[in-house]
Amino acid sequence: MSLEVKDLTKTYNASHGKVTALDSVSFSVSTGEFASIIGKSGSGKSTLLSLLGALDTPTKGEIHVDDINIARLSPHKQTAYRAKKIGFVFQQYNLIPNLSALENVMLALEFGGMRASERKERARELLTAVGLEPDQQLRKPAKLSGGQQQRVSIARALANKPAVILADEPTGNLDSETGKKIFDLLHDLSRTEKTTIIAVTHDLDIAGKTDRTYMLKDGKITTKRG
Amino acid sequence: MNVVSRGIRNALRSPLRSGAIVIMLAISITLIVAMLVARSSVNAKIEEVKGSTANQITINPAGIRGGFGGGDPLTAEQVTTVTSTAHIGSVASTLTDQAGTDDTNLTPSLELGSFGQRMQRFETSTGDSNGPTDVIQGDGSSDSAPARPARTPRTTITGTTDANSIASDGSTLTLTSGATVDSTSSDLVALVGKTLAEKNSLSVGSTFTLYGKTFTVNGIYETGNTFQDSGIVVPLATLQTATEQPGAVTSAVATVDSSENVTATVSALKTALGDKADITSSAEQAETSVASLRSISSLATTGVVGATIAGAVIVLLTMTMIVRERRREIGVIKAIGGTTSKVITQFVTEALTLTLVSGVIGIALGIFVSGSITDGLVTSASAAPKTTQGQGPMASAGGMRGTGGPTQRFNQGLQQVTSTVTPQIFMGAAGITLLIAILGSALPAYLIARVRPAEVLRTE
Ligand SMILES: Nc1ncnc2c1ncn2[C@@H]1O[C@H](COP(=O)(O)OP(=O)(O)O)[C@@H](O)[C@H]1O
Ligand SMILES: [Mg+2]
Repeated sequence: MSLEVKDLTKTYNASHGKVTALDSVSFSVSTGEFASIIGKSGSGKSTLLSLLGALDTPTKGEIHVDDINIARLSPHKQTAYRAKKIGFVFQQYNLIPNLSALENVMLALEFGGMRASERKERARELLTAVGLEPDQQLRKPAKLSGGQQQRVSIARALANKPAVILADEPTGNLDSETGKKIFDLLHDLSRTEKTTIIAVTHDLDIAGKTDRTYMLKDGKITTKRG
Repeated sequence: MNVVSRGIRNALRSPLRSGAIVIMLAISITLIVAMLVARSSVNAKIEEVKGSTANQITINPAGIRGGFGGGDPLTAEQVTTVTSTAHIGSVASTLTDQAGTDDTNLTPSLELGSFGQRMQRFETSTGDSNGPTDVIQGDGSSDSAPARPARTPRTTITGTTDANSIASDGSTLTLTSGATVDSTSSDLVALVGKTLAEKNSLSVGSTFTLYGKTFTVNGIYETGNTFQDSGIVVPLATLQTATEQPGAVTSAVATVDSSENVTATVSALKTALGDKADITSSAEQAETSVASLRSISSLATTGVVGATIAGAVIVLLTMTMIVRERRREIGVIKAIGGTTSKVITQFVTEALTLTLVSGVIGIALGIFVSGSITDGLVTSASAAPKTTQGQGPMASAGGMRGTGGPTQRFNQGLQQVTSTVTPQIFMGAAGITLLIAILGSALPAYLIARVRPAEVLRTE
């Protein structure tokens, strides 16, 4: 069992009082599986990903990744965990604008602890694997299309051979055709790299092709498939 | 590609903005350097002035200053009191006198001039010692005023235990020929000023008459000061005997063993001599003289602090703006495993790069303009020393003058502050530049630490 979530609750202190974004959520995803999470806006999907990715700490509950409870890590260990065990793919790509595609991937490799001399070669391999031409690899994000940027971001997420890739609406900013290609890329990678992928999506077509799907509603898992 | 090179590269991310910031910062740093140079140059001058006056205390008999005033000279007993006061090492005692045509066969080398005439306007017959009440005499008729003799310039005779004390720069008296006199003796020997010697064709070995005695010229001195070079220097005891004023002294300069003891010694002397003498320490006089320099120095210090704060504020505002702009980027770096300290290092490097570039420009520019800024500050603040220059009866023509105290010496050179850029200033400026970068980065660093990585999942 690669990832197991038990009784996960997250409460935010908003200006108008407490908001329970996640309410006693429990589920599990096996190693190498591609799971999707669907739900309306505000149902708690991003909150769930932020907890799985140790971007935030839960109010209550446990998250076991390869038998480590990441729910109670110190801020410093959280950072190390994100660097080595997690790959993020964001809806807005979130590449560093000042760095080339290659350097964006190398940055993740640096945080993952790879030796400086090896980073460039590894970054090239990754970018080639996601389908970026050598001349595109040297471009800054602003000089790449949305689909290309998302490919770079997937290469960055894969850089340190993470245990889990967390993707928050990775196709949300792309047209349906490009979105489909990106989804296929993620799908293929989960097969070849044996990486667990948890992707949030609006697209029921896409969700239908994943190994399992959880539906969130008001912070609770209401339906699951597979 | 590491955190430092990313920081440097980010500094050039927006060339226009970076350029504007560099210009503003460079101006601040230019000001800092110029003020540091002014400050250290002026402080060096202050030290020089204070150092040159050593630890001297001047004791003048109450009411007498050089050839002016009235009252009694210091007595031998009082001089002994001074000599035996704790912390006093040596005492140079001086008695001055004016020799008229009756006293000497020498022709004075100073013209009487309007000053000399004015000084002698009350005087009557020089040979008549009967005093002013006897001015109207003879047949008693009030309209037959006595014939006043022509006023004549006089020659100043200095009897001293230290012939060097008349040197204008306070060091050794320069002799153009001959040898100095034994100031402790009571021999009939003299040092003659160059101008007076020329006027009377005196050379080493020549003799002349003074107070009815025959003096031998031991040496000819030159001070460069017209008044001094028209005088005669003899041993103190010789003049005391010749003028029948045994033990009398019109000015004594005591040297204290250490500058820390000057104040205590001044009060000890004031207690011992009471109102019989006016006691001034050269340290006090120097303090007064350098007061305007001190105000320049503190003005410059204020300038340094002000410009440093301005520089730090420029960096702070810039970096705060940049951090706000790149909030999402900071979140992303944190989200993909960059530590907060790495992000802060990157931004501090960026601030340092901007500051260092400004520092190089500012320091170069500062060194370039520091000379004229120092001059400007010193000149604009020099009104004070100028007005004190005229203090005391120290006019140098006409036959009378006080024994030029050290005060005059300070004032002459006060405006000659040479601005020099020392390695310390360089280090100081570099240090302050660094301080600006660090101070200016502190708040942005705090803001960076507060960026929550979870924010990157927000889709606004
Ligand atoms: N940092 C936060 N502070 C306060 N409320 C938050 C915060 N993040 C999310 N929320 C709230 O929690 C709920 C779930 O948000 P989110 O997980 O972003 O939903 P989704 O990604 O499914 O649209 C929403 O009501 C949202 O307003
Ligand atoms: Mg969301």
